Amino acid sequence: MRARGSLTGPLILILIGAVFLIHALSPNFQIADFIARYWPYILIAWGALQLVEVCFRFVMNRPLPVNGVSGGAWVLVIFICLAGLVTSEFRRPDTWWRLAGLERGVQAFGEEHEFSFDSLQRPTGKSPHLVIESFRGNAKITGGDEQGVTVSGHKVIRAFEENDAARTNAQTPVELLTQGNTIIVRCHQDRTYTRTSINTDLEISLPKGASLEATGAAGDFDVSALAGDVDISSENAGVRLQNVGGSVKINTRRSDLIRCTEVNGAVDLRGHGTDIELTKINGQVTVNGSYTGSISLRSLKKPIKVENLRTEFDVQQVPGEIRLERGSITMQNVVGPTHLTTRATDVTIENFTSSLDLNVDRGDIELRPGRLPVGKMAIRTKSGNIELALPQAAAFAMTASTEHGDISNEFGDALKEVSEGRGARLEGSVGAGPDLNLITQRGRITVRKTSGSETVATVANADKPVQASLR
Amino acid sequence: MDNRLALFVQAARGPILLITLGFLFAILQAGIVSFARTWPLILIVIGLTKLIERAVTPQGFVQLPPPPPPGGPLR
Repeated sequence: MRARGSLTGPLILILIGAVFLIHALSPNFQIADFIARYWPYILIAWGALQLVEVCFRFVMNRPLPVNGVSGGAWVLVIFICLAGLVTSEFRRPDTWWRLAGLERGVQAFGEEHEFSFDSLQRPTGKSPHLVIESFRGNAKITGGDEQGVTVSGHKVIRAFEENDAARTNAQTPVELLTQGNTIIVRCHQDRTYTRTSINTDLEISLPKGASLEATGAAGDFDVSALAGDVDISSENAGVRLQNVGGSVKINTRRSDLIRCTEVNGAVDLRGHGTDIELTKINGQVTVNGSYTGSISLRSLKKPIKVENLRTEFDVQQVPGEIRLERGSITMQNVVGPTHLTTRATDVTIENFTSSLDLNVDRGDIELRPGRLPVGKMAIRTKSGNIELALPQAAAFAMTASTEHGDISNEFGDALKEVSEGRGARLEGSVGAGPDLNLITQRGRITVRKTSGSETVATVANADKPVQASLR
Repeated sequence: MDNRLALFVQAARGPILLITLGFLFAILQAGIVSFARTWPLILIVIGLTKLIERAVTPQGFVQLPPPPPPGGPLR
């Protein structure tokens, strides 16, 4: 008797068919996204079903196939793998071709047609709440002295024929709705039947007391001079905010730059992106997500908490600057207590107050407290050198140890140096001061004195260790 | 221990490999570990199934030769 064909093939076909059917029936279902995320589970499901079938045949004493997965099926598997990898590569924000700016070239099907629309106006109170519903395109929102909301702008529609573009334009009017104090801007981009691409660029001016809530699919936001809260979420956006009186929330799935300047309330950034620049923020700052570029924080008055990729830190205040880049973090003039945990990153902290708690996996650490009194320090690294420069008059109790490396000490006999196997320990106290605890598993520890001028001009540090070793 | 058990193990190898492959791609997708670091697992799984197959094959039992390619012998 010939073994009947496998059950698995038809089941997989039904599954794939179902996914495409859902896509056809509901336009909001992002099929590429879905496939890009879940395609490996097709392989797992297939393997599991086939395994169950083989077990079943074995138990029921039915004839077994020679191979659980035939040669032709393997070809299909390889095809699925390739297709899945390609789709997921296309969905990634940081692929080389996207970085190289080739995306526009890939999208360039059809011709661009531009339509402007009549500006819309509504009278409002002094502090209206503006809601922009999800749209593709850029938005520039400016607060001013006017009494109402004005929306103007234009649409860019990409289509193969002029007629198609005109029809799309007619289908997607920009509407301004008023509900009490709330004003809604609706671009109706979901009404296009064909898959023509449409971008609606908005220019909105409104009373400066307004608050904003915007959702974007792709496009930049440029917001300035608003006294209320700003809440922006987007699939892909560059966000530039300036002079905001309320709190700011920004949630992006992709972003090239988020820049906030002069914000009075709290700033809360979540999601994925590239660069962040926060300057002159009076409220709390929270950054939580994966931003792959550089993060720069300057003049922040309230506590800061950052959880980005593999680096976490919190500081009470940043009168100076914090720069977090790939592989390095620099803090200058910060108010502690400071906690920092990071993986492979070099850490430099200058001119900090209060206690410091530092956990580094792999990286060199350079610390110059600069000010007196010195705070408590707990510094740990698995692999890397630690260099600590203390003011001449500092009082402290030191415990330093390296398991593999040496210690150099400029504080003389007050600190006792003992070598242990391949490592060394340094213990003792100078005056009565807080505990300084330095531990590295592999690396050299340097404890040195700063000269009086060094606290001011940090540039002079560069030649200091050389002098020390020459003496 | 009979031929049937050996055939079963042989038939189960494909699906097990498929599940492993899917699993590796799934964790790659989730951004946990890159494929460059996990691919040896595939070799290990192949090796393990071969080992089990060998263990359950009775002494002196000749494995079925693979089916000839459809276009006849290669040369």
